[in-house]
Amino acid sequence: MVSLFSVVFTGLALILIPGLFISWRLSVPISFKNVLGFIKLITSRHDDEEERNEKRDEGTYVNVGEEGTTSGLVRELMPRHVAVIMDGNRRWAERGGLLTLQGHEAGAKRLLEFADLCFKLGIETVSAFAFSTENWGRQKVEVNCLMFLFERYLSSKLQYFKREEIRVSVIGNLEKIPESLLRTIKELKESTKSYKKKHLILAIDYSGRFDILQACKNLMKKSQQGLISEEDVDETLFEGELVTKCAEFPSPDLLIRTSGEQRISNFFLWQLAYTELFFSPVLWPDFNEDKLLEALVSYQCRERRFGRRL
Amino acid sequence: MDFNDLMPLLSFWIGQIGDLGLDLLWRFIHIVVSLWHIVSGIFEAILSNAISLGLIQKYSAIDIEKLRCLAVVVDIEVARDVSKVIDLLQWLKTIGVKQVGLFDSQGLLKKSKDMILEMVPGSMLLQETGEKDISPDRKGIIDIEFISSSDNKEAVVKAANILLEKHLKSNNHPEKDEEGDNVFTESHLNEALRVVGENVRVPDLMLVYGPVRSHLGFPAWRLRYTEIVHMGSLKYMRYGSLLKAIHKFTGVRQNYGV
Repeated sequence: MVSLFSVVFTGLALILIPGLFISWRLSVPISFKNVLGFIKLITSRHDDEEERNEKRDEGTYVNVGEEGTTSGLVRELMPRHVAVIMDGNRRWAERGGLLTLQGHEAGAKRLLEFADLCFKLGIETVSAFAFSTENWGRQKVEVNCLMFLFERYLSSKLQYFKREEIRVSVIGNLEKIPESLLRTIKELKESTKSYKKKHLILAIDYSGRFDILQACKNLMKKSQQGLISEEDVDETLFEGELVTKCAEFPSPDLLIRTSGEQRISNFFLWQLAYTELFFSPVLWPDFNEDKLLEALVSYQCRERRFGRRL
Repeated sequence: MDFNDLMPLLSFWIGQIGDLGLDLLWRFIHIVVSLWHIVSGIFEAILSNAISLGLIQKYSAIDIEKLRCLAVVVDIEVARDVSKVIDLLQWLKTIGVKQVGLFDSQGLLKKSKDMILEMVPGSMLLQETGEKDISPDRKGIIDIEFISSSDNKEAVVKAANILLEKHLKSNNHPEKDEEGDNVFTESHLNEALRVVGENVRVPDLMLVYGPVRSHLGFPAWRLRYTEIVHMGSLKYMRYGSLLKAIHKFTGVRQNYGV
């Protein structure tokens, strides 16, 4: 037994050490994920192993990235709607000795990369909590910089959204935001409203409680106009009045919050009833592809029963 | 046999050895990861037991005053095992928690509330639906609230209907309130929810027991700034883990978006 183990380990060392040396010399990046993916790809060719067959029979593995390495994700189990609370920009900037605005810029860049990757993985809707109603309480300078950043980013990425056929919606109160930003949002919404397959929802000046109250007001208006009666008001009708009515799948399947905070902070209160919550300790600008895949793998491993017994 | 005949055979065998090597490497990695999980599980169990025995100083004194209202979400499968829920409540009472909202989506715990209240000494049903002051002479008492999915969306819809009715029947200059700004505010909805029989108190901390990391439909209106901690299965709950989660909560500093 001991000699068998020693043979095995010697064999493994003979494969790994030259492989690592070669990759170092050729400057080929080897991440643990790539190695795992490559090994899974090779070993999945063996048909006599029941466990690997069972994995393959569950669905199609998803390829990620230009190398086409498998990520271990099953396409059929991919969430349809992923929401994200992008927390940690200021801490990231502070940690790097940068200005707060630079942290938010890095966060904006990360959001586009995140959305792009989600769409490539087959996720149809991505929602991002960009600015909450409570954020108005921050220093005026930071708030003004954020508004300017939103305007600059959204207008500069208009061609990108059109090219990628991404529909962009902005939800929230929007009464306090600058006129120029409002115009940019309107132009963006109009230009991209016909796209169906990819939907990016940005929550700006959004509050979950405000969303519920707005739904009440909308129902009140419809009732005044004689369109509905009081008896008609039920959960379905109520949900149809929330700001997420613009989405085909208004309730997220997965919510990711970064920077280690474990709360939903007034985001999508009504919509998150059965949403899988994934709290990551990583700061938002550092939330890269690996971290997203980790969240998705965690999601796919969970058994969601929507409160019922199956 | 010349070299040209030997090459395909050699390639085949190299491929086979390579595949076997990678297969072994995959299994080796599996073993390492499994061992890691076993070791970290053992470490967690030891830590939890040490906390339970009071061996770790920092968990001995918890600032429980910071935890005014605790929510416990229990998966429907686990909710059938009421004895575990009773044990959990007794632990919470020992720690000094004053108010607990017990939630399961189907209302199974609601149906067993009489038994639970009887089995947990010093427990009382939370009757009031508004803010509740915890006075010092209520030491050793734990108030328990039983919540289900019907207290979530259904309750909000009922409350919305009350507000709608109030607005439509209003005789005080309805034209000045066309937008409903004087009726549809947070405090008005809070009041309407109380009328419907709901508690509007926001839990400071929520512990989720079950396989899924989700609050399973806990009343949405109350969840604005609640810390949510997933505790795993109720079947394998540990006193030490519970204490650790509460202790961690007392160290959290919220900025409420500002």
